[in-house]
Amino acid sequence: MGRAVAVIGTGQTKHGRRPDVSYPDMVREVIMVALEDAGITLKDVDGVVHGTMPSMMEGVSSTHLYFAEAIGAVGKPIMKVETCGSTGQSIAHCGFFWVASGMADIVLVVGSEKMNEGDSQATMTTVFDPYFQRVFAAGAPGTFTMQCMEWMYRFKIPEDKGREAAAMVSVSNHDNAMDNPYAHIRMKVTMDDVKNSRIVTYPVRLLDVCPSSDGACAVIFASEEKAKKICKKPAWIKGVGFRGEESFFGESDKSIWPSATEAAQEAYRQAGIKDPLKELDVAEIYNPFTYQEMIFCECFGFCPRGEAPDYVLKGTFKKGGELPCCPSGGTLCTNPIGATGLIRLAETVLQVTGKAGARQVEGAKIALSHAMGGVDQFNGVTIVSSNL
Amino acid sequence: MQRVAITHVAQSPGVESKENLHDFTYQVNREVLDKAGLKRADVGCIISSSADIFHSGLSCANAFDWDGIGAFMKEGSRAEESAMSFIYACFRVLSGHFDTVLVTAAIKGSENPDNDAITPFYGDPFYLRPVGMNESVVAAMQMRQYMDRYGITEEQCAKVVVKNRGNALFNPYTHIRKRVSLEDVMSSDRIYDPLKALECAPKSDGVVSVLIASEDKAKKLTDKPVWLSGYGCSLDHFIPGDRNLLDGQLQAAAGRAYEMAGISDPRKAIDVAEVCEPYAFQELLWCEQLGFCKEGEGGKLIDSGITQMDGSLPVNPSGGVLAMNPYTSRGLYRIAEAALQLKGQAGEHQVGKKVKTALAHSTHGFGGQCHSVVILSA
Amino acid sequence: MAKEEYRIIEAEAVVPYELALGGTVSNFFDYLKEEKIMGKRCRKCSRVLVPPRSFCPRCFEEMDEWVEVGQEGVVETWVYINMPFYGQVIKVPYVSAQIRLDGSDSGLTHLIAGFDLTNVNKVREIVKLGGRVKAVWSKEKKGNILDIAYFEPVK
Repeated sequence: MGRAVAVIGTGQTKHGRRPDVSYPDMVREVIMVALEDAGITLKDVDGVVHGTMPSMMEGVSSTHLYFAEAIGAVGKPIMKVETCGSTGQSIAHCGFFWVASGMADIVLVVGSEKMNEGDSQATMTTVFDPYFQRVFAAGAPGTFTMQCMEWMYRFKIPEDKGREAAAMVSVSNHDNAMDNPYAHIRMKVTMDDVKNSRIVTYPVRLLDVCPSSDGACAVIFASEEKAKKICKKPAWIKGVGFRGEESFFGESDKSIWPSATEAAQEAYRQAGIKDPLKELDVAEIYNPFTYQEMIFCECFGFCPRGEAPDYVLKGTFKKGGELPCCPSGGTLCTNPIGATGLIRLAETVLQVTGKAGARQVEGAKIALSHAMGGVDQFNGVTIVSSNL
Repeated sequence: MQRVAITHVAQSPGVESKENLHDFTYQVNREVLDKAGLKRADVGCIISSSADIFHSGLSCANAFDWDGIGAFMKEGSRAEESAMSFIYACFRVLSGHFDTVLVTAAIKGSENPDNDAITPFYGDPFYLRPVGMNESVVAAMQMRQYMDRYGITEEQCAKVVVKNRGNALFNPYTHIRKRVSLEDVMSSDRIYDPLKALECAPKSDGVVSVLIASEDKAKKLTDKPVWLSGYGCSLDHFIPGDRNLLDGQLQAAAGRAYEMAGISDPRKAIDVAEVCEPYAFQELLWCEQLGFCKEGEGGKLIDSGITQMDGSLPVNPSGGVLAMNPYTSRGLYRIAEAALQLKGQAGEHQVGKKVKTALAHSTHGFGGQCHSVVILSA
Repeated sequence: MAKEEYRIIEAEAVVPYELALGGTVSNFFDYLKEEKIMGKRCRKCSRVLVPPRSFCPRCFEEMDEWVEVGQEGVVETWVYINMPFYGQVIKVPYVSAQIRLDGSDSGLTHLIAGFDLTNVNKVREIVKLGGRVKAVWSKEKKGNILDIAYFEPVK
């Protein structure tokens, strides 16, 4: 179906607080890295896809115009794609479909965010409709906490057990981030550190929550013919899925999150994956909240519903476990939102091409990446493989 | 290679709507599905172009629009500007992954501040915004250079308004349906001298939905499919002072579209054009760069009458953006109108000549920073 | 419900920002405090850009060579603005222009003022395409683009 599409290069900035550079300069930094990684120049690029969180995060509307030079798009066709937090996966999917359609051979995809320049929670509140939900919205933590509570209640997960498992998710991600030179938060944390950290929105505590990061990511997509010519070890796109629920939080059952479940099922169907826990070698899940990572593990079929805490506690998703999740340290340690979903993809590309350095999962061949966004509403999934 | 066609089109009524954006969007999407005899469940994928925060007070507006565009639990995405959304939808079909994609653009200008209050946010916060840049300011500077370099007169620019607003009288889906005379335009307020108030597009409410399909599917859904035969897009430098405002990226965008469509003489090959002209003179400048006349001859082009509804190359028979400016939706409106002309379904504003090939153009950004050109054929 | 009873809700979205200038813009604004207008020269295409960029938009190379440009320049195009709108930063009427400063290869967007702006026809006699203008400095410098208060026509 369609043309085969590969990733031939990736780039990331050093993520964190970046008051040292203006926003366009930070974006340019990342595309230079990606072009060098792919061994091509801007001349080889047929089109550019760009995305961020909404304009309100940037304080500039239509950033593809402002970043025209920084994203290398002058004189080229441009696509600006945005779907809130899931932007990173959505721009990747656009790059994939552009090449698969035959309308371009090489497409540069760039996602970016400078979270420290705007007010992210105030911005996220404006994602909610102005009639019913906005006055009650408390940015992302409020929504995600409601979801986590719903999930624990629904599957009768004892609060202590949920707490223990979430703390382990945090410890594991922070451990992993120590191996990732691009990660924003690089510090060792203990189970007690997490459990004693400040409450953000009960029961979610500070170390259950991602930071606000500045950063950018670029990924270069190519047709089969170009990829084989240019790249020694491309990563092949085997499946893409994206689904969304209603804009009213209360309408769908977020404890079993249908959009996350079906987005993954769609990607699995295309990739021919039947038993994800066994077949996948690594997963990069968009996990801005520890509790949510567990919900995703269930939605993605890594374990039965309601049992993620057990799997976490027995180490299934840790480094060295059966299916390592977020060896990069994940969104929990690095979250420049518009780039985050693309970073997840880039990390899986590094894994299946054996270029992940200290965070490499040995022998990884097939991997899942993911992002979510909207009013706890959108989920996008991509499967990459070292084999065509 | 796989082919992709527009099968059906629906538009909201031209009047300002008192519905909320959710309901407003739903009604038009429902209409296009009904026309095609499809249920929401039959559609493979949904791509929206929704207003962003500055045009709706909603961040990630597609989160809010998702229900109205019929996307619940469907494969979908959003591209910011609506010509981009259309092309993205075409990618999806051409990739072979989807048989049908519904493209929707939705905005309610009546709920928003003036465009002039919103477009300053295109500007960077350091160099342009503090000195008062917006889209109209750059357009006026562009117009002054255009008149100065080629001897184009203010009357010639004003004639575009008379023509397009005249055409709009025959389009029930457009916003401003009131005839204006050359005298009216010339004596309207000089709000951005040399631009006059009537030479600037209004802000409008508009939802437009376009259903596209693969070749096999399109032939099943309609006996009048409208094929995508060419597409080109090109982006210019950001800072207006870095560019030649009279020679931007439109020629590059059009060149790509013509090459794909196998068109060597656009003046002969194109039967009707829907050109995005938020400022009257831009229709003349864009027509030059689309190859409808020689450089500097946009004034002569409007004087000749060729671009009138009954001329040999009608431009904006719908009334164009000067009659209806649903800001982020306007590109998809041009495409929808071009498709209706090809289908012979434009009603009272159907052009007199037989239409085999139509051009739709969209632009956004200061002074035409980004241009997209779509060629459609019967 | 009768259609006349449709209602609206008043809404406004305001978010504060702290936007990083980066080295090039910071330095440019620092020079403005000293009443110097500095551009950057691209070592590849030799163009001097004002306002300065950290990299050349065309060559895509770093721009690291600072060059002082003239405080006078030529009006490439201009507009008389008499249209008030929400959030407008400059009070109407005002003249906005692209100014190519002596020694620069790009247009700087700024204001032309320093004379009676109330009548567009009189302004048209004073501001000309290709006419020369000169920077007028703000007394109090704040480290932003409006440290140049405006440009005035050179007689």
